[in-house]
Amino acid sequence: MNRRAVVLPVVAAALVSGVLGIQVANGGGDFVPARAANPCLARAVTPVAKGIEALGERMVFLAIDAAACRLGVTREALVLRIATPGEHTPQEVDAMRAGLLQAVDRMKADKTLPKASDLTDEALDNSDLPGLVEWGIRHLPDSLINGVVKTDDVLRRAISDLDLRTLLAGLDDPDALTRQINSAVSKAVKDSILARLRDLLPG
Amino acid sequence: MRRAAVPLLALAVGTVLADSAIVTLALPEILRHLGGDVTGVAWVLIAFNLVLAVVVVPAARVCARRDPAPFAAAGIGLFAVASGTCAWAGSMDVLIAARCVQALGGAFALVACLDVLIAATDERRGIRTWITAGVVGTATGPVAGGLLTEWISWQAIFVVQVPIAVLAVPAALAVRGAHVPQAERHRPAVAPNLALALLSAALTAALFLLVLLLVEGWRRSPATAALTVSVVPLAAFVASPLARLVRAGPRSETAAGCLLIAGGLAALAIPPSAALGWTIAPQTLVGLGLGLTVDSLTADALRDRFPRALHGGWTIAARHAGVVLGLLVLTPVFTADLRDAQVPAQEAITALVLDARLLPADKIALAQGLGARLESESGRVPDLHPAFAGLDVAAAGRPVAERLEHDLDGQLERAATRAFRASFLIGAVLALVALVPLMPLPRRGKP
Repeated sequence: MNRRAVVLPVVAAALVSGVLGIQVANGGGDFVPARAANPCLARAVTPVAKGIEALGERMVFLAIDAAACRLGVTREALVLRIATPGEHTPQEVDAMRAGLLQAVDRMKADKTLPKASDLTDEALDNSDLPGLVEWGIRHLPDSLINGVVKTDDVLRRAISDLDLRTLLAGLDDPDALTRQINSAVSKAVKDSILARLRDLLPG
Repeated sequence: MRRAAVPLLALAVGTVLADSAIVTLALPEILRHLGGDVTGVAWVLIAFNLVLAVVVVPAARVCARRDPAPFAAAGIGLFAVASGTCAWAGSMDVLIAARCVQALGGAFALVACLDVLIAATDERRGIRTWITAGVVGTATGPVAGGLLTEWISWQAIFVVQVPIAVLAVPAALAVRGAHVPQAERHRPAVAPNLALALLSAALTAALFLLVLLLVEGWRRSPATAALTVSVVPLAAFVASPLARLVRAGPRSETAAGCLLIAGGLAALAIPPSAALGWTIAPQTLVGLGLGLTVDSLTADALRDRFPRALHGGWTIAARHAGVVLGLLVLTPVFTADLRDAQVPAQEAITALVLDARLLPADKIALAQGLGARLESESGRVPDLHPAFAGLDVAAAGRPVAERLEHDLDGQLERAATRAFRASFLIGAVLALVALVPLMPLPRRGKP
């Protein structure tokens, strides 16, 4: 075979190998969208917000992970599904409720659930209680507030009471959302205090 | 006039062949201006190449029997009128119809110009000029189209063709009466024409898909994309002089060229990032391959074959049938892959927004803005900047929002790049398959 005839194809093959080698060595095959993390593995959630907003964000994030794990989808797929207007399946609603309850358990276990006294001032700022009542609550000792109101109990009661199907269907209406959550939390606080008082009374 | 005829006719040949891919970079602008969808706008390219592939051989048969100069002049004239119509087209249907007429005129212009150029010079120089003009036109088409679109408008692509063609009409007529009846009639050269068709299909991936990736996927301006893809013609120009130093022979050059094009396309399928620099080496490989293959295969298909115009016609038909094949195979693949890329891209964007160090209210506002962008540019890679421009974040959150925008754009670039991977790899396979018809057949042993 003519030796000259082989030179060009060999040079071409060498050039191609060199270019492909450099591309692959620099991560050429890996330039793809980031893969969603496994929602069943514990993820650190560190909100920028403070107080009640941070509690809400942390709880929702942990709940979405738990719900996604339960449904066998990624956290992102579930968020996109929830963000889509319209009705949600009973499985999605049940998974979200179970996820929220699981989030409360996890926060209680890792001691990231704030005490009721840490949230009282902010809750009163956003409440429409009569001035005198508000003043009175603000001047209660923290130990008394924490003794009467347990954050995890309030949250569990609120989650169980929430109409999640309606809430998820109306995510595009923030005012209605806030009204529903405030109503559920207020009722949960009231029920929690009453239950606590019932426990304290003899008989 | 006869002296000026050769460069003017070469320019006309280059212009007609540049039209095969000249509108590639203008397609997004055309889509915005005339409306329609991606598949529809692809017919602006497909229609020209299809009509040229179908008409050029019958046109060559007509030109081979008579004086080619009037056919060249008429073809160029028709091409000029159709170019003007393209520029003034007010709808996609008119534009596609005008592109068909352009191809009809272009077919007569191309095959008739081959004989006219031979008549104006000599056999060797005439063929050489015709082939070189074609290679230069093919390689520079997307660059010229991109620059004109960015600096003036997509209509400018067609407007500039009119004076070029108008000047070439008298140039063609100046070489009238040069017809030499050719008694010999040879069969078309199957192997080089088949290889030309397969390579043209592969080069469609390089010239058509790369500019789409740059403009639509990586959101670069048409001018930036045009300057980036100018690497291909530059490399194509130096390929032949470099190969001549080795004097390896046309078959060796073609084999090396096929390997280079296949390798370049494979490298374009796996860039490490969306930095333009990563496209330079793969494009250089494609350009070198283009320079080594198209002219030597065309010369091989024309060598010692008469009538010239007819065999020139076969090479043009093979090349443009290859372009049509490439577009018909690759367009559905990459549009489907782009559609499939939406879910992973949306999930990657959702993950980044959820994990961003922003306040929940800012995240919700941003998510609503991003959702609106994704919806408004459904089927295309969206520009996310308006969602961030409308975001009212506190001073402390601004650097986080800027970083997030950068990261989201990065995810879109990754998704778009991934979506083009299969199409580039199909192009690479086509370039390798082009080697098959060039392999020497085993000789039958004598009993």
